Amino acid sequence: MGIETVFGPGFITTTLDKVVNWGRRWSLYPIPYGTACCGIELMAALASRFDLARYGAEAIRFSPRQCDLMIVAGTINHKMTPVLKRIYDQMSEPKWVIAMGACASAGGPFDSYAVLQGIDRIIPVDVYVPGCPPRPEALLQAVMKIQEKVDKETVLDRK
Amino acid sequence: MTENRDKDVVADCLEELKSHLGEAASEAAPTLDGIFTIEVQPSAIIESLNFLRDHLEGDFDMLTDLTAVDWMNYPETGERFEVVYLLCSTKSNHRVRVKCRLGETGPRVASATAVFKGAEWLEREVWDLFGIRFDGHPDLRRIMLWEDFEGHPLRKDFPTRGYNPVERTPET
Repeated sequence: MGIETVFGPGFITTTLDKVVNWGRRWSLYPIPYGTACCGIELMAALASRFDLARYGAEAIRFSPRQCDLMIVAGTINHKMTPVLKRIYDQMSEPKWVIAMGACASAGGPFDSYAVLQGIDRIIPVDVYVPGCPPRPEALLQAVMKIQEKVDKETVLDRK
Repeated sequence: MTENRDKDVVADCLEELKSHLGEAASEAAPTLDGIFTIEVQPSAIIESLNFLRDHLEGDFDMLTDLTAVDWMNYPETGERFEVVYLLCSTKSNHRVRVKCRLGETGPRVASATAVFKGAEWLEREVWDLFGIRFDGHPDLRRIMLWEDFEGHPLRKDFPTRGYNPVERTPET
């Protein structure tokens, strides 16, 4: 069966993309950006009942340099935007962003002078999670969507 | 009984303050929440605070809060802005409320920081959200909003989305 038979047992062949993406998809390191009630649901998603560890994304890191998945959970106001942008910029490539909840996705109920109307006005967003706040299951699905996206990456050139 | 005696103490305090200030003070009376309230002329505010802090039996030594009200929609009540000082006595737990009214154009009043150090940030907040200036304040900057923000959001004529609203994505 293919080239493995030449080398005997202990060898398999695959593409580098598949191996690297397999590693990335099961070891997402999220950085939490929890600013409101969505942050509480994010914590619930990490805890035992929902257990984000089942998707390999339980290792929360509070340094952006160690992370590749930003979960923006909560209202972002205009005064906070430079901070959010800077933390996003500090993350190393490849990186993904989840906008969790109505506030992060589109400003939520706060149609006011103070609140940013969706974080996609300052950073690119991969997955939007509807809800106010979304249940932990919704966040789990968002992580699965991110995993699907990771699978489409290539090591040579990030699309 | 004790409650009644306490009320008398506060009423006496304010009565003394009123006779001290003369024309510059209104009648002191308890509002619906039971806190005695006195309205004074803006020019007499520092004197009132000093008087309540130092000279009276109540010794109102703590500034609990300093805030403002915009009465734009109720012109019949008097001048547009009202600055409210809430004082508390840490000894007897008596409370008293001092108010003063300011006009619509360039409202300003003397800073209470000379009497209560803790007024500094409270006055910055009132400046930030109501645009009332405090003369003699050591560092009157915005405290919540960013520096180049335009307007004062708690004024009743402030548009909810601000003076420079962000463009919204058109419906598709």
